[in-house]
Amino acid sequence: MKKKQITVIVAANLFVLVMLVFLFPQFMISPGKPVEAHIDLADDCFACHTPFIGSTAEQCIDCHAVADIGIKTTKGLLIDKEQKNVAFHQKLVEEDCMACHSEHKGVQPFRPIGQFSHELLQTSVKEQCDSCHSNPADGFHKKITGNCSQCHSNESWLPATFDHEKYFRFDKDHNTECATCHINNDYTNYTCYGCHEHSRSNIREEHLEEGIRDYENCVDCHRSGDEDEAKRIWRSGSYKSKMQQQLNLDGVDQSNYRKHDHDD
Amino acid sequence: MQRSLIRKEVMPFLLMFGFLILATLITDAVLHQFELAWIGRWLGIPGTLLILSSFFYSLRKRKKISFGNPKTLLKVHETLTWIGALFILVHAGVHVYAILPWLALLAMLINVISGMTGKYLLDRSRRFLAEKKETYLQQGLSDQEVEKRLFRDATTYDLMKQWRTVHLPITLAFAVLGVTHILSILLFWQWK
Repeated sequence: MKKKQITVIVAANLFVLVMLVFLFPQFMISPGKPVEAHIDLADDCFACHTPFIGSTAEQCIDCHAVADIGIKTTKGLLIDKEQKNVAFHQKLVEEDCMACHSEHKGVQPFRPIGQFSHELLQTSVKEQCDSCHSNPADGFHKKITGNCSQCHSNESWLPATFDHEKYFRFDKDHNTECATCHINNDYTNYTCYGCHEHSRSNIREEHLEEGIRDYENCVDCHRSGDEDEAKRIWRSGSYKSKMQQQLNLDGVDQSNYRKHDHDD
Repeated sequence: MQRSLIRKEVMPFLLMFGFLILATLITDAVLHQFELAWIGRWLGIPGTLLILSSFFYSLRKRKKISFGNPKTLLKVHETLTWIGALFILVHAGVHVYAILPWLALLAMLINVISGMTGKYLLDRSRRFLAEKKETYLQQGLSDQEVEKRLFRDATTYDLMKQWRTVHLPITLAFAVLGVTHILSILLFWQWK
């Protein structure tokens, strides 16, 4: 077969394929089906896309009036469930639907709805975490209302921005789960007796040997596993005032922050 | 003879293509491991640019440009298309949503296979002519006569010419499907 003949056959096939792109864009170029609610628009790319611009918020708002999101459906029917997110859509700094929503299945992994930026929220809503999020069901968080940013960032809940090293620095001997020291999900208290190294009798004996009778709150002196550091703090006598200052700075009620198990 | 053919031509071809697929799998796995899969989404651009830049060789060979050593440009052509193909393969991933990009990818792979075939056909042609030259010289023919016969042999045994009959339409298919894919992206891309 001659080169020209092959080229003509290939060109004819290519022409058919390019025509198919225009006739069936939903199969040829669409990056997956749109979400179920928009499935009727699957064959009409330009219902949402403006050529060479993309999808604009105005096109979404044509059907989804911002004031109605979370209250009424696009058909005017009242939404019959908890209106938790009402303020969420109405109080955005900018109407930028595509910042959080992606319609096609193939695009969703790159723009998952769970990864929206809190920066899109107006400051008044941004500070009301509990308008969208529930309090964690542990003893410590149950007692707290608001002011989450004191210990957590908007980027992620964990790790908390709370600086544990202000109270106790972790080292290779103290690299453990939170629950080892903070039992029963109560972060207002801690115990050092969770570890076999620190039995009640050992601790009592060792401290009494040094003439230390006030060893109720370990982290007063033991800011890490470094025993020499603890001795220095004890001898300087500065531990009480330093800890008091830190707790006051962090707004923690010191009367709660005690090692209650240390009564023996 | 048969063993020599496998060692000299089939194995290097399989190794080069197999390494391309392996490199794709490794790169894709590493990007996913470090949650950098989004990079793959953008690799289509450098991949396309690398493949396009490799066409300096094609232009040089057809005397559309006059700079550059053809031998060096051929090496650059082979290397850049290999890396460009790797980027495009990672860019494609294994996500099947639209037909057009997959047709473009298929055309690219056929093009890569065709290119690698061309590389080994070229080597085979060179070896054939070298062997013929040796035979003619042993027969005691003059240099002039040897050149004359070699020219005739080369014309008869022009594997490259036959190969180009196939490689160019394949390249055309890749170019048209690739450009259509890129245009569709430009048309529907969320620019903000």
